[in-house]
Amino acid sequence: MIRALKSAPSIQRRLLWFLLPPLAALMLAGVYANYRAATAFVESAYDERLGDAAIALAGSLIKEGQRVRVDPGAVPTTAHRTDHLVDLRYAIVGAGGELLAGTREVPIAAASVTANPTFADALVGGERLRVASYRVNIARDVAIISVAESAAQRAVPGRFILASTWLMDFIQLDVTLLIVWLGVHFGLKPLLSLRRQIEAGSPRELKHLDATTVPGEVKPLVEALNLLFDVLAEAARSQRRFVADTAHQLRTPITGLLGNLELLMKEPGTVLLRPRLQALHTGMENLARSANQLLALARADPSTSFAEPFDTVDLQALAGRIVEINVDRALNAGLDLGVEAAAAAVRGNLRLLEDLLGNLVDNAIHYTPRDGHVTVRVGLRDGRPYLEVEDDGPGIPEDQRGRVRERFYRIPGSTGHGCGLGLAIVSEIAEAHGAQFTLESGAAGKGTLARLLFRSPVV
Amino acid sequence: MRILVVEDNDLVADAITLGLCAAGFAVDRSDSAEAANSALATEHFDLLVVDVGLPGQDGLALVRRLRSRGATQPVLILTARDTLAIKVEALNLGADDFLLKPFEQDELIARCRALIRRANLYAGEQVNLGRMRLDVAGRMLRIDETAVDLTGREWLVLECLALNAGRVVSKERLQQAIASFDQALTPNAVEVYVSRVRAKLGDAAVIRTVRGLGYRLDDPST
Repeated sequence: MIRALKSAPSIQRRLLWFLLPPLAALMLAGVYANYRAATAFVESAYDERLGDAAIALAGSLIKEGQRVRVDPGAVPTTAHRTDHLVDLRYAIVGAGGELLAGTREVPIAAASVTANPTFADALVGGERLRVASYRVNIARDVAIISVAESAAQRAVPGRFILASTWLMDFIQLDVTLLIVWLGVHFGLKPLLSLRRQIEAGSPRELKHLDATTVPGEVKPLVEALNLLFDVLAEAARSQRRFVADTAHQLRTPITGLLGNLELLMKEPGTVLLRPRLQALHTGMENLARSANQLLALARADPSTSFAEPFDTVDLQALAGRIVEINVDRALNAGLDLGVEAAAAAVRGNLRLLEDLLGNLVDNAIHYTPRDGHVTVRVGLRDGRPYLEVEDDGPGIPEDQRGRVRERFYRIPGSTGHGCGLGLAIVSEIAEAHGAQFTLESGAAGKGTLARLLFRSPVV
Repeated sequence: MRILVVEDNDLVADAITLGLCAAGFAVDRSDSAEAANSALATEHFDLLVVDVGLPGQDGLALVRRLRSRGATQPVLILTARDTLAIKVEALNLGADDFLLKPFEQDELIARCRALIRRANLYAGEQVNLGRMRLDVAGRMLRIDETAVDLTGREWLVLECLALNAGRVVSKERLQQAIASFDQALTPNAVEVYVSRVRAKLGDAAVIRTVRGLGYRLDDPST
């Protein structure tokens, strides 16, 4: 049996791993770019307004003789914005650097101020300011107007922009990721349905997979699988044919030999030969049993048995049948053979399960001494069907319980009557049915308790 | 009692024929289904022993043809192929029993006797079972020519066991056999009736209890 210890990640997971991180990184870059573009636009709008304020201040300058003076009534103290008013601070400096109006705290944006407003950031008294400076010519005189506003005031809309950009881009990111996930999920749906198709079919049926509904990429794979199924099924069929033919070729002559031998033993003239004839008869019976066991083993072999059809098998009825077949043998051996059965059914192959229970009962009858008991039990334990054969014979030593399942192995010194295949057959059939096969001591530590615990019942 | 053995393997056919002759049957042998058909057309046989694997037409085809003609004599199928399919098909076609090769002569003889006896019991004829003689039509049991007095239900138990002599009859089946509408059955009614029948049979026949399964009237011919 092949078991994948560690499976490779699924295609769906791989696709998501390949797609999601770069998409997420791209989205983050998008957020940053959008934020930068939006704030640059807002900055320039703010600067333009600051410049306008500086130009507006120019209107309040008047020339008085040789001096430039500020008309206090004409100084705008606020710059008007649509939503709220922002405090403006300003300084008007004369050509000689003398302060004509406003406050000294407002620096001049640059050394050479032109007739167009020049902008700069400044740090005054621990406060970040944005400054616009502007040179005015008044009747051949020069004055420099500097207007400043707090950078903190600008940060408010910046944060708003950042928040809204984040929000929008995150919604976009989430929707994109959802679409990618859905796309991958639905794109891989044909694979999932193929998987379900494979899982639904029992491996014993070797039924062809439908190659018409699978995507082109998987089609060659499915066709190769179907071809493999055909080869396997044919191999199993020819193996089964071989087993059946061999059975016929072996059993028919054995029947004839046994029959003639039995006739011979009844002839009055053969009384003196009887011990030899009896030995021959016993040998012939052992040969017959070995042939049966070899055939049962061939039937139970995975290469043959996997193609055996599985049906619902009534374990209770099976136990009754096998016990009935063996009642006479048990009586002749002076044994009490009985059944303790409750209703239980499993999915399995009746023929194989007959071989299995037949071998267990056969072993128990053979190895249990006169006046012993052999009991076949069937039922459900914790919801799992079980099949048990218990005897109060000599039992199997603990260190031999593993080895007795090997083919052709016989416990040293045992009076084996077959060829040591009985428990190997049981093991193989148990495995074919996914059942757990254990050998324990019987009640009170005496005898053997052979148990099969099946996986799940059939309801 | 006349038996037709249809078997192509000479070694097997000889042993069967001689064994059945020694057991007191009159035996004819055919080595193919075709030969068996012509024998059946002219002669009467009480039982057919048919091998499945015949050259030409196989044994199952022979049974099918026999039953389609309305012949009711019992058929015992022999086969070396113990596939379930053959067993099921044989019984569905109307074969009465199934014996897997290799088998012992005594087993074959016992099965043949049981089949003929059952056919006769169904036909309401008198049947000998060891020292017992059962008159089905008259519901009479004699042991060594002495009439044994059985109640209605005791007879039903004995009849059911005798019909299946050598086979285990489940407790449920016996319960059904003795169940009637007018009288309620106690849970251990079957045990009670079986032990009464046992006592009345004495040492003329053995009714075994097969633990957990039911009862079996031992076939005195084995």
